[in-house]
Amino acid sequence: MPDTVKAAAPSPSSGGGAARAAALAAARTGLLLAAASIAVFAATDVLPGDAAWTRAAPGATEEQVAELRAQLGLDRPAWRRYADWVGGLLTGDAGTSLVNGRPVADAVAQRAAATAALVAGALAVAAPLMLALGWWAGAARRVRAAATAVLTGAAAVPTAVAASGLAALLSGTLGLLPAVSLLAPGASPLDSPELLVLPVLSVALPTALFGAGLLSGAVADALRRPHVADARRRGRPAWAVACVDVLPFVLAPFVRVVAVSAGGLVAATTVVETLFGYPGLGSLLVSAVATRDVPVVQAVAMLAALVVLAGLLAADLVAAAVDPRRGGAPREAR
Amino acid sequence: MRLRSVLAAACAITLAAAGCANEAAPAEETATLRYAAVGSPAATTHDPHGRVANEADYLRFAMLYDVLTVPDEHGEIQPRLAESWEPVDGDLTRWRIDLRDDAVFSDGSPVTAADVLFSLRRIQGKGAENNGRLSMFDLDASTVTGEHGLELATVQPYAEVGAALAALTFVVPEGSDDLTEPAVGSGPFVLGDGDDTTAVLERNDDWWGPEPRVDRLEIIAMADPAARAAAVASGQADVAGSVSPAAAGEHGGTGGLQVVHRPAAVNYPLVMDLGSEPFDDPGVREAVKLAVDREQLVETVFLGHGQVGADIVSPADPSAPDAAPVDRDVERARELLADAGHGDGLSLTLHTTNSYPGMEEAAVLVAEQLQEAGVDVQVEVVPPDTYWAEVWNVEPFYLNSLGGSGFVDFARMALVSDGPINETGWNDEEWDADFAEALATADADERRDRLAGLQQRLADEGGYVVWGTGDGLDLATEAVSGLPTGPGFHRLFIDQAGVGG
Repeated sequence: MPDTVKAAAPSPSSGGGAARAAALAAARTGLLLAAASIAVFAATDVLPGDAAWTRAAPGATEEQVAELRAQLGLDRPAWRRYADWVGGLLTGDAGTSLVNGRPVADAVAQRAAATAALVAGALAVAAPLMLALGWWAGAARRVRAAATAVLTGAAAVPTAVAASGLAALLSGTLGLLPAVSLLAPGASPLDSPELLVLPVLSVALPTALFGAGLLSGAVADALRRPHVADARRRGRPAWAVACVDVLPFVLAPFVRVVAVSAGGLVAATTVVETLFGYPGLGSLLVSAVATRDVPVVQAVAMLAALVVLAGLLAADLVAAAVDPRRGGAPREAR
Repeated sequence: MRLRSVLAAACAITLAAAGCANEAAPAEETATLRYAAVGSPAATTHDPHGRVANEADYLRFAMLYDVLTVPDEHGEIQPRLAESWEPVDGDLTRWRIDLRDDAVFSDGSPVTAADVLFSLRRIQGKGAENNGRLSMFDLDASTVTGEHGLELATVQPYAEVGAALAALTFVVPEGSDDLTEPAVGSGPFVLGDGDDTTAVLERNDDWWGPEPRVDRLEIIAMADPAARAAAVASGQADVAGSVSPAAAGEHGGTGGLQVVHRPAAVNYPLVMDLGSEPFDDPGVREAVKLAVDREQLVETVFLGHGQVGADIVSPADPSAPDAAPVDRDVERARELLADAGHGDGLSLTLHTTNSYPGMEEAAVLVAEQLQEAGVDVQVEVVPPDTYWAEVWNVEPFYLNSLGGSGFVDFARMALVSDGPINETGWNDEEWDADFAEALATADADERRDRLAGLQQRLADEGGYVVWGTGDGLDLATEAVSGLPTGPGFHRLFIDQAGVGG
């Protein structure tokens, strides 16, 4: 992560340069997406067994499994299956499930809203919290190492443990919230926001701690800059120092950390959705992996990759826009 | 401000997909039963004849489609769509099936013998996916004899045709070859709204059978057992199917919740392969059977919600013998092992999986118990992915999960010499012949006696150690009544379950 933070956005000197940088970033995102598609395909291809094998009942003969495999089109070579899949994706066809023969897009669409609400809610909680905690740890002069260690340690608590603990406290002991988050069929998660609280907190808290650990370094660096000490000496009030002298230097790393955290959030939803019975994309992915329903795995994984890469792209563009060092200012070494 | 717009952009990306959220379900005053069943929503299928991985799907099919016969709470076969099944010849290979004449599909067309034969053939055609469920029939030689009559041929004398047609013979209209989308059914409920997670079923007022006690049924597929129990405990569901013994203990009898027991629904026998050392020696098999502490296993694995077993593989089957309990005798086990040449110890690897609750604990406990008889057992736990490919029906010594299958079906698959999943290598020509003879015995009582004798012989000499069976445990609010309690697929028929009133 520090590498990403350090690799400051290009400091364009003209409008044309900015456009070129944006085009470069977009092209890079496209390449990464293509690489992700190959990685996802390869990962699903090397799993032991396939959909024909999971669909066949225990005791089915080799010939029966082979027949199923042919029916499902799994007997074609890998490159052919990859080409067909990518070709389908480019024409807007995500294929059909190997488990139930229905369009993958339907299964994904049914659940995308629930996961989007979960991830958005978690980001809304995690981002401010991450900034506050990161600032606190970064500004803690004597005990900074200890504070960062505490954050890192807390962030290492697995999501499942955090979720169970929160559920035991908020639902079990205090009885404030429902212990599971079932959505009525066809209902939007926003209709019953109380169902979102536990899943959102369960993914947001570890994410905030993780992000705060990363951010504290950037905050500490910003605070050590000469102009900050200078402003303090000139008697500028603390809040003004924070907003005017420090914040601009923290914003770019903050945006990147948030973008990267979004990827972690998507991964954490898989655990949380299963624990709370919340019907989102994460639990779809888990069971699709278990049944080797490759088209579904690929669709969900690519969607997640798309969100993370789009977030990073947006972060790059925003970071370039807010970088206080652009426009000819001398770039300082960290 | 910039910070906010960055965050807003990040949120907007993830929210972009949220536009497709539908309207909330309308509130209504109808009696609704919400059943949280075992199932992973992503595996939801509409094809009742192929591979059905979700209990939730089976429940839905049992309520949407008529089946030919059903088991009752004692496991006895009762008529459903089929009013009667009688042999038309002396050797029990041709059977006349009379269907009721008042069943209609929800599109108004009558359910005919042609629909039934089509459905049976479709099930048989998907034998690779459904464990050869109807492989006892010769359906090419079977014929429709009238609007509501058909004649079924079996490949060998088969007195248990009623049981063969029980529970999973979901009848769809003739010509429904592609069932990626639901076909019309003729069962107690019709399909309403819903999605892959929750199926909404509305009462079918045209069903021929007793009026269902609820207007609406919501079947919610939930993979996590703790989440199912929590759904009922927090009032988001009325019934949670198959909860863990620990959850039943925690919630049962508190806060207006009840636990419904389905005896002998869970069965994790030890499997010993008769074709491998040291289990090819009958003395070793007997030693293992004597060395396990069955009471302790039932107490620990099922927290007492179960019965101690006497190696009868299908103890809930109506034909199960009244077997004498097997008392633990570590001394005798040591003697038997010494006689078999293992006096100075025996080392074994016991495989198990963590895909079913309690199987890992059972294996660890078995290992400790066998240790007392001088057998050194290494427990190897594998995930479900590799278990079915690399342990089940491969390793010589492992724990299996049999559920509550009927004896004849189980024997056909796993006990006759050429059974496709003969995991214990039970190859006994005499036993095979006696099994065939039992199936050729028309008299029900005599047939049961023969089948009971066959189960007992397997218990005494075979490779299964059925140390005990666990109850199927369903958690429900006290307002719920009429949930099924019988063995096997009886559990699927929830049309007479009610809530409140």
